[in-house]
Amino acid sequence: MTVDYIFDFLTSLLDGLIGSDYLLLLAMLIPCLAIFGFITVYALVVIYAELKVSSFIQDKVGPMGQGVGLHAGKWGLLQPVADALKLLLKEDIIPSSADKPLFILAPFMIFIGAFISFVAIPFGDSIIVADLNIGLFYILGVGSIAVLSLILAGWASNNKWSLYGGMRSAAQIVSYEIPAGLSLIVVIMLAGTLNMQDIITYQAGGLFSWIIFDNPFMPVAFVVYFISAIAETNRTPFDLPESESELVAGFATEYSGMRYAFFFLSEYANMFVVSAVAAAGFLGGWHSPIVGIMDSSAWGVFWMISKTGFLIFVMIWLRWTLPRLRVDQLMNVCWKVFLPLALINIFGVAIWTVVFNS
Amino acid sequence: MGVVHGQEMVLNIGPQHPATHGVLRLQVKTDGEVISEITPYLGYLHRCFEKHCENVSYEQVIPFTDRCDYLASMTMNFGYVVAMEQLMDIKVNDRVQYIRVIMAELQRIASHLLATGVFGLDLGAFTPFLHMLRDRERIIDLFEMTCGARLLYNYMWVGGLSHDLPKGFVEETLRFLDYFEPKVDEFENLLGHNKIFVERTADIGIMPAEVAINYGVTGPNLRASGIKWDLRKDDPYSVYDRLDFEVPIGLGVKGTVGDSWDRFYVRLQEIRQSINIVRQAIDKLPKDGDVHQSMPKKIRPPKGSIYSRTESPRGDLGYYIESDGSDTPYRLKMRSPAFTALGVLNEIAGGWLMSDVLAILGSLDIVLGEIDR
Amino acid sequence: MSEDKQKLINDAVEKALSGDADAVNNIEDRVTRAKAKAALVKAKREQPKKEDSNDDASKSDEKEQPLSDNTVQKVSASLIAKFPKSLDGEQNSDWIQLKPESWFEIAKWLKDNPDFYFDSLQCNTGFDLGEGLLESRYNLHSMKHLHSIEIRIKVSVEKPDIPSVESIWRVADWFERETYDMFGINFIGHSDLRRILLPEDWEGWPLRKDYEEQETYHGIVVPKVKEGWE
Repeated sequence: MTVDYIFDFLTSLLDGLIGSDYLLLLAMLIPCLAIFGFITVYALVVIYAELKVSSFIQDKVGPMGQGVGLHAGKWGLLQPVADALKLLLKEDIIPSSADKPLFILAPFMIFIGAFISFVAIPFGDSIIVADLNIGLFYILGVGSIAVLSLILAGWASNNKWSLYGGMRSAAQIVSYEIPAGLSLIVVIMLAGTLNMQDIITYQAGGLFSWIIFDNPFMPVAFVVYFISAIAETNRTPFDLPESESELVAGFATEYSGMRYAFFFLSEYANMFVVSAVAAAGFLGGWHSPIVGIMDSSAWGVFWMISKTGFLIFVMIWLRWTLPRLRVDQLMNVCWKVFLPLALINIFGVAIWTVVFNS
Repeated sequence: MGVVHGQEMVLNIGPQHPATHGVLRLQVKTDGEVISEITPYLGYLHRCFEKHCENVSYEQVIPFTDRCDYLASMTMNFGYVVAMEQLMDIKVNDRVQYIRVIMAELQRIASHLLATGVFGLDLGAFTPFLHMLRDRERIIDLFEMTCGARLLYNYMWVGGLSHDLPKGFVEETLRFLDYFEPKVDEFENLLGHNKIFVERTADIGIMPAEVAINYGVTGPNLRASGIKWDLRKDDPYSVYDRLDFEVPIGLGVKGTVGDSWDRFYVRLQEIRQSINIVRQAIDKLPKDGDVHQSMPKKIRPPKGSIYSRTESPRGDLGYYIESDGSDTPYRLKMRSPAFTALGVLNEIAGGWLMSDVLAILGSLDIVLGEIDR
Repeated sequence: MSEDKQKLINDAVEKALSGDADAVNNIEDRVTRAKAKAALVKAKREQPKKEDSNDDASKSDEKEQPLSDNTVQKVSASLIAKFPKSLDGEQNSDWIQLKPESWFEIAKWLKDNPDFYFDSLQCNTGFDLGEGLLESRYNLHSMKHLHSIEIRIKVSVEKPDIPSVESIWRVADWFERETYDMFGINFIGHSDLRRILLPEDWEGWPLRKDYEEQETYHGIVVPKVKEGWE
């Protein structure tokens, strides 16, 4: 369901009524709105999931209500809606000594970074906004916009805590991009392509054709990628840039209302992006684990979403279980453990491929 | 590895900051993430406790002691009434004594639960904190059952107690202890042996024994430095000499003696000892005895002064009471254990990273109500 | 006063001094009992002075003999030998009254002396004794010998100077700052004598008995009529 497909469809429907330039614009606008809608709905769902999963882990009930009056709906289902409304209605404060243009720019930039990553994420065998031939590379590239906006937010707030948060996030995200990228190189080596759909097609044929089971190095690569991905999204145990008990709220200290909501939203959006990349790159994407069972195009969407959802659940699970690392330990893990592991993986897979697969 | 020195930045941690456990301001000099010097500024919660006490009668002081260390009000009451009874030479009956011990030890469990939980929270572990609060809630329910209050009890009075134990208290307490005892092991596994937690606390903020004594640090913080010093054992008051319990000390299991992990672990073990003490005290609790028996009609101590120490969950709690023979204290000074514990912060936390400093602060278990008074 | 009453008092005082505390209390006549108590206090007061005079002689055998149980008496006896003239006024068995001048040296000695080894300063309390006198009281404790004493140092309001012991017991840093904050006792030699609990620009010394609240604080009028809320 790419832009071309929509364009063709619109052309056949509205041929001659509207100029083709406008049709192309419309064809681009529709997936944009679809992604935006998807992110919003997904954020509401995952916030609710986070509340409920954390409640379960912490032995409490979490949001709930009787569906009467101001309660948060049945089982607290309206809680995320209420949260979103609260953030929307809050006063928008810009500190008087902040660097105004940058301060306003930062939350939009981080959201754009997360938003345009969705373009290359395959939800099904034909459901992808743009089937780029450098899909994986593109996602890694635009994902890096986040770090720029976090530094901007930290600097523009003119607050020492924000500055600390910004500096920490810069160091952290830049460092963890490397093991994450190197782990994905292994995937590219096996699949021989950067195209997301081709990587998934390469994994056709059931559970044991998935890249994670391709050879003994791949589970390691998966774990390195996944942990690095958690670090890139600033989630506990790597939430140093906003560690609330140290830096108050880190880079987001001075943000409130809708601007804060954008940081919030893009954190969840980034969680989806990195989980989807992990699902597509290692876990067979939209393929069913067993050939022939629930293996149609429509089921593909289900598999993709549930694999991604499971990884997001793991992220939530980790967040509510583990304490936070210290800043030097974080760097140690990255440079002294993950980077060598990722490099060894590359050589290992290369040799493995030469010896067994050729 | 060479150390790069940059320009120093002065940073105010607090008075409104999630990790300062109240309204405390730490002015720190930072060089990047490294904190070179810490200057605490106190007094944001100063409520003129000592000045107030000079203007109210002796029994009216008790509610003020509640409000000093609001997380261990029972032991604050306990220390004051022990001092007053020494000053007035009052002997109270065994039932009162055992009830006081039960309350003080339950309070110690509650206080340590919060201390260890909040310590975890300072390190980013949210879940153990809520598990501990869940169990602390049951202790508070027990207190509510006894005296109606959940935080500030005003329960122990000079020469007695405000109420006798309610019906069913003993059974309920035993039920709680049976439920709670295995939970302590769970907390130990959940937090104490977590790899990241150990990395964050072992060998961090080491307080050698001499430093601890020189800075007047007492209680679990001193014991974590390897000194077996517990007023319940070394200078027994009330009926602690009739109870059998151990004083856990820091052994440096995960790192060095006196590090943050030891301070955490000593508290956890003290919870176990307190469970043991409560069980013994319940066994020995006399069936009869009027809790108001020895209460004087009018509290008017003879002229003189007393310095009396008791063991609060945070350390040696001293009351210096000077009486001039009138109805109001001439001077009442509280020697607060958290006050001295905070004093050592610059010594043991200077030179560490920002995250470590806040972890060390959490491991000292300070309560600002008691520091500022 | 009749002669036999005087004799009764003398007898009772002698008995009391030799250890029978009830001898005085057992006197039935109230007036006589009061007089006997007064006489007893007077006699007790004279006793340490006697010890003073023959102190040089008894000092050598003090080391061999087990010292008396009372730590305060032990310490004051040694103090007299080591720092003559440092004691202030009459001594008793509950505390040691010192003059401020040589307090720093005495404190150092108390901490380092292996017999006493007071390594822990438990508490420092300021006092307003009225009549223009302030007092600083120190509760010392030894973690090694498990004994404790109380030391009191009296100074006048006009010149409230006491040597700081901050460098001996580090805990005294904040204790002395608090006493300074509340009583205005000036601890000489303290490295950082600032207010600790009150704001830096607070006026007056709140725990002195003659303290008057300031009229305004940063433009806020301090209410003096406290009806209804106190």
